[in-house]
Amino acid sequence: MKLVDQSSQQYRRLWWFASRGFAAVLLVLLVTSILTTPGGLQNLFNGLAIGGVYAIFALGYTLIFSILRIINFAHGAVFTLGAYFTYFLTGSAVGFNGLLANQQLPFGLPFPIAMIGGGILAGLCGILIERVAFRPLRNKGADPLLTLVSSLGVAVAIVNVIQLLVGAEIYSYPRNPFGELPAALNLGTFGGLSQRPVIIRTIQVIIFAVSMVIVVLLTYFINATKTGKALRAVAEDATTSSLLGIDTNRLILITFFLSGLIGGIAGTLVGLSVNVSGPYFGINFGLKGLAVIVLGGLGDIPGAVVGGLVIGVAEAFVPSAQVAYKDAIAFAVLFLVLLLRPQGLLGRAVVQKV
Amino acid sequence: MALLEIENLSVNYGGIRALQSVSLSVERGEIVTLIGANGAGKSTTLRAISRIVNARQGRIILDGKDVSRLAPHEIVKLGVAHCPEGRRVLARQSVYDNLMLGAYVRRDAAGVKADIELQFKRFPRLEERRNQLAGTLSGGEQQMLAIARALMSRPRLLLLDEPSLGLAPLIVREIFRIIGELHNEGVTILLVEQNASLALQHANRGYVLEAGELTIRGNAADLLKDERVRQAYLG
Ligand SMILES: Nc1ncnc2c1ncn2[C@@H]1O[C@H](COP(=O)(O)OP(=O)(O)OP(=O)(O)O)[C@@H](O)[C@H]1O
Ligand SMILES: [Mg+2]
Repeated sequence: MKLVDQSSQQYRRLWWFASRGFAAVLLVLLVTSILTTPGGLQNLFNGLAIGGVYAIFALGYTLIFSILRIINFAHGAVFTLGAYFTYFLTGSAVGFNGLLANQQLPFGLPFPIAMIGGGILAGLCGILIERVAFRPLRNKGADPLLTLVSSLGVAVAIVNVIQLLVGAEIYSYPRNPFGELPAALNLGTFGGLSQRPVIIRTIQVIIFAVSMVIVVLLTYFINATKTGKALRAVAEDATTSSLLGIDTNRLILITFFLSGLIGGIAGTLVGLSVNVSGPYFGINFGLKGLAVIVLGGLGDIPGAVVGGLVIGVAEAFVPSAQVAYKDAIAFAVLFLVLLLRPQGLLGRAVVQKV
Repeated sequence: MALLEIENLSVNYGGIRALQSVSLSVERGEIVTLIGANGAGKSTTLRAISRIVNARQGRIILDGKDVSRLAPHEIVKLGVAHCPEGRRVLARQSVYDNLMLGAYVRRDAAGVKADIELQFKRFPRLEERRNQLAGTLSGGEQQMLAIARALMSRPRLLLLDEPSLGLAPLIVREIFRIIGELHNEGVTILLVEQNASLALQHANRGYVLEAGELTIRGNAADLLKDERVRQAYLG
């Protein structure tokens, strides 16, 4: 049945052209500014590196949202936990404050292993959060808003426990976490495209590579494995999934584990780049992650990836004199995009088949 | 012993009484049909068996075992497949993956593959569309997929909720031909239908549900002749 009358269809077509046109203009501006501003390419690469982390961090929200239609506000805190777990698994000692002052593990793991271990521990915390903050409310059929509040409560609790145990100081990972690698790569001027030589820190390359490996693995898991397909089934229709013999609670646990695992690794990656700045490490990141998923269109992997990279690159172009406004950029970009595409960059308008 | 035995089942939705002390049984190899008007509680009965709604009271006994407190996925493991009202195919996954998910509880990968081919023989229209997203199938094709998907778990008991709903007469006939085929293969079926005459023609026995209570029961052939059934449901 045709529900749309002629005039509103014309209006929509106009809107479509306007928004595409606007997007094209923005793209042209972006490309020219990358090529003409001094250090434009440099900014682009810096932006992609951090954008990769934004992307995988946001995937943690996306996974849980796609199944429960709830934003897990504790995700930023899990990110923080992952960074701390990795720190301790490398065998480094706690600082002077907190109940665990000066303690350290009797062993130290090589950094890549510690990072994976930190992610796994963060994933287990994710499972705990589901059991404590989500499932009890779900079983009672509580309003999703309440679950939102309870996940926020968990976030606050985690931040406080971290502060209590290990204090609020800055923690830095061991030097040369990946062995003796050159600190940076000089990519030259790209045959004159860039006025200055483009220099990329090795850490940035590693961060971006790890992020993209995670995106690929997760995409494979979701689309090509039996458990991944079951996960998508639960996301689409939980009741019908249970009629097929799928244990929905178990799959929700798996989802929380994956979300925590990825979030924890993201925390470690950011810690590598800028140090672990204290118990509130992940909070700011948490907000930005929200911007990323809304920007990308809630609920799928490509959306989170595009959203993450766009925000990362946009931030990188903030002149260093205005660095104080850097965080505002994420939300300014978000605002602009939502104005033109309320469903997000890649999101499709919700189509209901009657 | 009956394959399925329901004793005094009552279900409420909030304050609304949907089922009131329903007792019925299904013997191995039978087709039993549950007929009744809109809102009589037919779907609710099937949902209670699959445990996707909670019973207020009563017991559900499968093969001698009380299953009234199990989780839905455990019911499937015990050999009950529920093909829900309105098909409920997974629109965003392919026909093939819908069938794979129908076999989620099975561990024999080779047997599952073979069974998918078997379903494709039974429903050639699905084979032609094996890689198509289920959401893009026609209503009749979706119904076929829903039935095929339910069969993928190799159920002992198949719960079918209004398989003819909204389908053209030709497709309805095709669906009922397949129900007969399944019956001949020995599958036990509890069939919910609004199309009472077709259902009774294919079933061994029938129950009539009125406003949450069972009022008439008997052999399908007798119900077809029953004056009350004729007036209310066979028109
Ligand atoms: N989720 C629900 N919440 C509240 N009431 C419900 C719910 N599901 C069903 N009901 C009510 O329970 C009664 C029985 O519903 P049920 O779906 O079992 O009927 P039915 O016999 O399958 O009808 P139909 O032939 O229309 O499918 C109806 O009055 C219905 O309104
Ligand atoms: Mg019904």
